[in-house]
Amino acid sequence: MSQVSSTREILTSPIFTNNPVAMQVLGVCSALAVSNSMQTALVMTLAVTFVLVFSNLIISSIRHFIPNSVRIIAQMTVIASLVIIVDMVLQDVAYELSKQLSVFVSLIITNCIIMGRAEAFAMKHPPHLALVDALGNAMGYGLILLGVAFVRELLGRGSLFGHEILTTIGNGGWYLANEMFTLPPSAFFLIGVMIWAIKVVQRKRS
Amino acid sequence: MAFKKDTVTGTMIFIIVLSLVCSFMITGTAEILKERKLAKKRDEVQQFVLKAAGIDISQGDFNALFEQRVKPKMVNLASGQVSEKDNLLDFDERMAAINPETSTKPKKDIAKIKTMATDIRIFEVYDTDGQLSSIVMPIYGKGLWSIIYGYMAIKPDLNTIENIVFYEHGETPGIADFVTDPQWLALWQGKKLFDTKGKMAIKVIKGGAKEGDIHGIDGVSGATRTGVGIQRLVEFWFGVEGYQTYLHAIAAEGK
Repeated sequence: MSQVSSTREILTSPIFTNNPVAMQVLGVCSALAVSNSMQTALVMTLAVTFVLVFSNLIISSIRHFIPNSVRIIAQMTVIASLVIIVDMVLQDVAYELSKQLSVFVSLIITNCIIMGRAEAFAMKHPPHLALVDALGNAMGYGLILLGVAFVRELLGRGSLFGHEILTTIGNGGWYLANEMFTLPPSAFFLIGVMIWAIKVVQRKRS
Repeated sequence: MAFKKDTVTGTMIFIIVLSLVCSFMITGTAEILKERKLAKKRDEVQQFVLKAAGIDISQGDFNALFEQRVKPKMVNLASGQVSEKDNLLDFDERMAAINPETSTKPKKDIAKIKTMATDIRIFEVYDTDGQLSSIVMPIYGKGLWSIIYGYMAIKPDLNTIENIVFYEHGETPGIADFVTDPQWLALWQGKKLFDTKGKMAIKVIKGGAKEGDIHGIDGVSGATRTGVGIQRLVEFWFGVEGYQTYLHAIAAEGK
């Protein structure tokens, strides 16, 4: 990233050209696990957005006080606290959903996107830029997650957000649901296709 | 004095302050959510008790229904004495069962629960005319892997099972799912707890109970041990160390 990168660039580059999941291949584990329905993908995106935004903000605003020798531990402490808060709130607001997301909410702690942004960006930039960077990366993550979930839920179950779009044969319709899309490996293929597509577009541009 | 972040003292101060701030953040959130969590727990108890009593909660306000029809009471298991207390919905049965001041060790621990509370919260359920229609009692004990928690509702004859629900277990998924299966639980309805001699007679029978067997429940193959566990926990809770003294006490009172 160049030194003179504008705010706009910080926001938009992680959505497409420097997408954290597709281009940096970070946070793929959770993207595989929770992308089998739109609902879980959306909640996961919101949770990651919350953690990413606040961790970037907090770390960026205390970056001058963080001793170099313990900076990773300090980042982890902030991130872990935020994740615990998200987990508690989620269990309160949407208990059933939090059960579906199970361990993956707590595993946001180890999501490399958040660690990566804290270490690579928030430590070196003022809070307002860190906030923009967090939003951009969260959108990039969400875009991939929701994109994969869209295809998986539509083809795997014929529905979106639980609403039936393609009536499956099981329900007396015409659509034969492709069960493979409900299983995690399908997300591998879909993310692979997305990476390929993004790279093709990028090559054409340059 | 300027803050020197890279000295040992500076690092220590930073870490201590950061840990304190983060822990305040977490405890603060927990404190805000505490009241709501308690309310949720109360709702859960109400729902399961009504379900155990066979009352339809799919329509209307179950809180109001519970308020109207159900009276929680405390029972001392050793003496069979019943007492009324306020705020019984907030009574923490799990805490009471492990707190050394309010619990004892069962002498013959066939339900494998290690410690049990001396006083148990039960629920008297009344019908719309104000007549006692059933008594809902908590039961729990070990299945194959985990403690299975549930409620048993018995009719005022103190022998016939009105209904049974299990609301928490950690048995093998897929194999022991019958524990919460309404069809299997419906098998219990109308069965008699005690035989003519007053002995606890409920049996979970592998291979299926005979037709007309008023004490037998069909076991589920593949989950024999879970079935045995359920039989034992019912045996325990309706045995001498469980509700028997209490049941005798109210039976004597009724006559």
